[in-house]
Amino acid sequence: MHEMSLMGDILQLVHEDAAAKGIGRIEKVEIIVGEISNAMPDALRMAFAIFREQNPDLFSEAAELVIHLEEAKAECVLCGRQYKPDQKIALCPSCQIPSGKVITGETFQVLSYEGSNRQ
Amino acid sequence: MKVTLRTDVLTNNNKAADFNRELFQNSKTLVINLMSSPGAGKTTLLEETVRELSGNYRIAVIEGDLATERDADRIRAMGAKAVQINTHGGCHLDARMVAAALAEFDLDEIDLLFIENVGNLVCPSGYDLGQHHKVAVLSVPEGNDKIPKYPQMFMRTELVLLNKIDLLPYLDFNVGEAKKDLTEINPQSMLIPVSARTQEGLYEWFAWIEGAYLKCVQQ
Repeated sequence: MHEMSLMGDILQLVHEDAAAKGIGRIEKVEIIVGEISNAMPDALRMAFAIFREQNPDLFSEAAELVIHLEEAKAECVLCGRQYKPDQKIALCPSCQIPSGKVITGETFQVLSYEGSNRQ
Repeated sequence: MKVTLRTDVLTNNNKAADFNRELFQNSKTLVINLMSSPGAGKTTLLEETVRELSGNYRIAVIEGDLATERDADRIRAMGAKAVQINTHGGCHLDARMVAAALAEFDLDEIDLLFIENVGNLVCPSGYDLGQHHKVAVLSVPEGNDKIPKYPQMFMRTELVLLNKIDLLPYLDFNVGEAKKDLTEINPQSMLIPVSARTQEGLYEWFAWIEGAYLKCVQQ
């Protein structure tokens, strides 16, 4: 459970950029969370709500966090089959050989943010 | 006003990791990030490693724990330099904490640096510290289900030290099954069965370190 510290990283990136651009209070933050990126969306939402409440000068009251989930996908280098990597991440369900490579699902990015211009 | 960033959340960590990596490269210090659940035996393994290798290598250890200097004291008692990082509740080490700890060493005087991460099979796996190698320690009493239950740790490590194999006669742990589970998550990963207590298998771990060190200094 390190979503508080991850949210701290997310908001630091947003605030640094907003400060450089002269943007005031943040109204919306959009992030991409991969299914196997080790971050839990619910815990991120909770962390966002806590930060928003603690920093009323940085966020508008209705500031929202939008999470775009990125599905995890792996592809077999032998047969090309794409499959959902669960526990046996590298095991191709067709070949039954650990010949799969994760192609998506590890992304953890700040996509964008919205804010009002500083008065 | 909408601003598109498309920036990795761990950008700042990764910058610090790159900073560390450059220091390690310049000083030709081999750096191993050791991760496991609490109680898997990381510190005992490091004590034995320092005991065996300190004749030939200058060794230092960075210890990560929520609180206390206990692990660093154990390493110092073996004659190696150790710096303790207390994360005060944090569940993992990040690259910036390591960068701060590095200020306490003269890396030119260190051949091997072990970073003992906070005992946790989830969070530490996502943080690049600038290390050369990520190694997981799994102990026999934890049971066979740890590898399939924590695939995101084992997909990111390149070696698993299966510790406490002296307890195999008393437990249901199946080494063959662990190897199969590991291969199905990460076919590139090696697994070395060891016992830090009886020393069984440790020579293979030491040989792995020596091989990694040669590769590191030749780069």
